[in-house]
Amino acid sequence: MSEFLLLPPAIPMIVGGFLLPFLPKRMRSGAFLLFPLYSLLIVWTLPEGTHAIVPFLQFELVLISADKLSRLFGIIFCLTALTGGVYAYHLDDRAQQGAALIYGGSALGVTFAGDLLTLFIFWEIMAISSTYLVWAQRTVESEKSGLRYLLVHLFGGSALLAGILLHLQTSGSLAIGQLASDTAPSSMLMLVGVGLNAAIPPLHAWLSDAYPRATVTGAVFMSAFTTKSAVYLLARMFPGGEILTLLGVIMALYGVVYAVLANDIREILAYHIISQVGYMVAGVGIGTELALNGTAAHAYSHILYKSLLFMGAGAVLHTTGKSKLTELGGLARAMPLTLWLYMIGAFSISGFPFFNGFISKSMVVSAAGEAHIEWAYLLLTLASVGTFLHTGLKLPYFTWFGESRGLQPSPVPINMHIGMAVVAFFCTMYGIAPGLLYEFLPFDVAYEPYTISHLVEATQILLFTFVAFWMLRGKLAGEPLIALDTDWFYRRPAALSRRLIVTTTDRLFSFVEEKALKLAHSLAHAARNPLNLFRFSTSAPLEDYDPDKERWPLGVFVGAVLACIVIFAGLSLFR
Amino acid sequence: MKRWHWIALGLIAAVSFLTEFLTPHNPGHTEHWWNAIPGFYALFGFIGCVAIIVLSKWIGKLLLQRREEYYE
Repeated sequence: MSEFLLLPPAIPMIVGGFLLPFLPKRMRSGAFLLFPLYSLLIVWTLPEGTHAIVPFLQFELVLISADKLSRLFGIIFCLTALTGGVYAYHLDDRAQQGAALIYGGSALGVTFAGDLLTLFIFWEIMAISSTYLVWAQRTVESEKSGLRYLLVHLFGGSALLAGILLHLQTSGSLAIGQLASDTAPSSMLMLVGVGLNAAIPPLHAWLSDAYPRATVTGAVFMSAFTTKSAVYLLARMFPGGEILTLLGVIMALYGVVYAVLANDIREILAYHIISQVGYMVAGVGIGTELALNGTAAHAYSHILYKSLLFMGAGAVLHTTGKSKLTELGGLARAMPLTLWLYMIGAFSISGFPFFNGFISKSMVVSAAGEAHIEWAYLLLTLASVGTFLHTGLKLPYFTWFGESRGLQPSPVPINMHIGMAVVAFFCTMYGIAPGLLYEFLPFDVAYEPYTISHLVEATQILLFTFVAFWMLRGKLAGEPLIALDTDWFYRRPAALSRRLIVTTTDRLFSFVEEKALKLAHSLAHAARNPLNLFRFSTSAPLEDYDPDKERWPLGVFVGAVLACIVIFAGLSLFR
Repeated sequence: MKRWHWIALGLIAAVSFLTEFLTPHNPGHTEHWWNAIPGFYALFGFIGCVAIIVLSKWIGKLLLQRREEYYE
């Protein structure tokens, strides 16, 4: 293997991200595609095992650790950076294009990191570079939301680092692998850090807060990297952690409930990321080989169809400037191609047979069944009802059909449709030929998604979900309201803490400053003219000491001398 | 939704019920108590969907929903 291809897969994309802003506009979007392609080539040809070991302080950083699981995630991360690059081809924003590449590269860095320190470094680069994809939208809302996003992720990063250091202290090892104990303080801290990125409630609110406010193209990248790299780590470090089954099922339903209430189309999709990642987290919790395969497969499928859905919603926002259901409607005639490509993503996420959601979601659900965790089986199936209801029915119905609001969308850039078409092709390809995905899964487990009972189950559920939707669709129209989520706990007290920490301190400082200046002022005057200290009228202007003005008349001294003489003379008389 | 759409959906439903009743359960598919209920997944889809809509809206009205300027 040549050294040329033994580069850490993260390097081409991160270096590319720093080079890109210096390229002229007409080359930049084309060059964007080359870097993920190069990374993909590396990921594809990387031999299994650890490579590129660099000494750092007294540690050894392992920059490349490749096995089946990391290769699977690596391939899909590169592929999404590539299709996202096509979708964003029309973009002319140096910093945003660079940030997107660095972000994708750092996700690859996390995936192939062979030790916890390397992992942490890429983890933080990921948080910072992705924040820029929110800020690049350049609205007041996105500026504030991006800052919250960054702060929350820095908190998660600190928890992860604390966990890593504690783990290093107790075990003496920086290796990434299944943790000996899920309940040790170091494991709990790492779970908080990783779980935050996986958007496990109550640590999930950054996602539904920031993704709807990110740029049209930025949200496509964000939907792929952060949560799925966290899922990858959960599968590495916490397989079979029972709490994760419960958390995953809660997540899957939590997203569904909030998607009913959401009005912004990208917020609906964001809540369904949480819901879908719930399946993967539950799969990690179940922990059997089938379940872990299901988690990996579902992450792969999910990245494809979720980026397609965000591309569709982004195209609507890009061409109409609107993203709220209450402001959208009747766009089917104006953008039929966008609608159909979006619907391929919607069929996939909903688990329609012959689309890629079906072949991966059913693995996780079947794994719950085979492990006899029946409540998880039923609740995950219920969540998939909700998925079809929102992503497949509510969102397209009220965006492309429903009441027309007279919107005149501008034409969709051709590159957006090409990007969507490529992803849509993959969604159907893996749905029709699941073997193409299964051969890359970490464990060799025979699994057949297209059994009669699976098909009957999916058909009946989807059909009757549709019937219920059609009957109740009047209740589902968007409402111009927001739904409180756990970000309330840091957004609401923000005003109070600002008053306590910023405003109060500010006032105290300016009060002290003002008093000190006044004191200095009067002291200066006193020094120049001590007589001013005895002046009681504050209205008269303070004057400098003038010996001619302040000197007493000569008669006062003569009188005083005379008075002394008189007093002493008098005293001597009476002795 | 045109008339033929509903007819097509009805046909698909009929095929799925027929298949369910005519084929013995896949032996590879683990048996669960609900597999004994005919048309269970149809019921599950319908009732589940209604429950999701009604319960979520109820929680929203009761606790969660605020005007859009709430955080400003």
